Amino acid sequence: MPGEGEIEVVKIIGALLIMLATTWTGFDASRRLTERTRQLRLFKNALLSLEAEIMYGHTPLHEASRRLARQLPEPLSSFFSAFANKLVNTETTVKQAWDDCLQSLEKRAAFKQGELEIMRQFGETLGRHDKTSQQKHIQLTITHLEREEADATEKQQKYGKMVKSLGFLSGLLIVILLI
Amino acid sequence: MGLEVDIIFKIAGVGIVVAFLHTILDQVGKKEYAQWVTLFGFIYILFMVASIVDDLFQKIKSVFLFEG
Repeated sequence: MPGEGEIEVVKIIGALLIMLATTWTGFDASRRLTERTRQLRLFKNALLSLEAEIMYGHTPLHEASRRLARQLPEPLSSFFSAFANKLVNTETTVKQAWDDCLQSLEKRAAFKQGELEIMRQFGETLGRHDKTSQQKHIQLTITHLEREEADATEKQQKYGKMVKSLGFLSGLLIVILLI
Repeated sequence: MGLEVDIIFKIAGVGIVVAFLHTILDQVGKKEYAQWVTLFGFIYILFMVASIVDDLFQKIKSVFLFEG
């Protein structure tokens, strides 16, 4: 038979675990908002580099995306290196390879459906046109991504702090209700 | 006596947390959620208080009407 003191200790440990879980959930949600902004900015920079490689370096697509993979941090780095590998090693179209890589990126990155759709549409134009119209498509995609980035920044500023304190306070509420 | 003090602290705790939640949700413009949170907190405490008042009435009944 456990004593009175032991029950108190178990209660306190349980309360701490609940607080920890909800607080961590809040911080994780806030981190995802921050990550979305950062990754959108990185992807925009990647497109700018791609444009420079195509316009001034005349680099083939697989070589350009391998260079991008070396420049960029995760998770975009593995996206571009997977894309380069697919282009070189498998018998596939650019669009197919881009779509496949986007699907695996979707699981690891914090992108939402809107920007994924923009990227998918960009993949359809990739490697199909001459230099100048490819550049125009890149510029168009960057404009679209800038709109999404503004949206992501606004959401981050609005909800970033809220989800943190919401996680902590909901944990506190659950603990008080259960005592 | 210990029980009553416990319940007063619990009500105070729920009140403070619900007030914070209301303020935060209000600040980010989610007024409708804020009102729901406040309403549910209020209902919860109302139930708690109602059960205590019920105890009081039972006690009064047993004193004045000589029932078990």
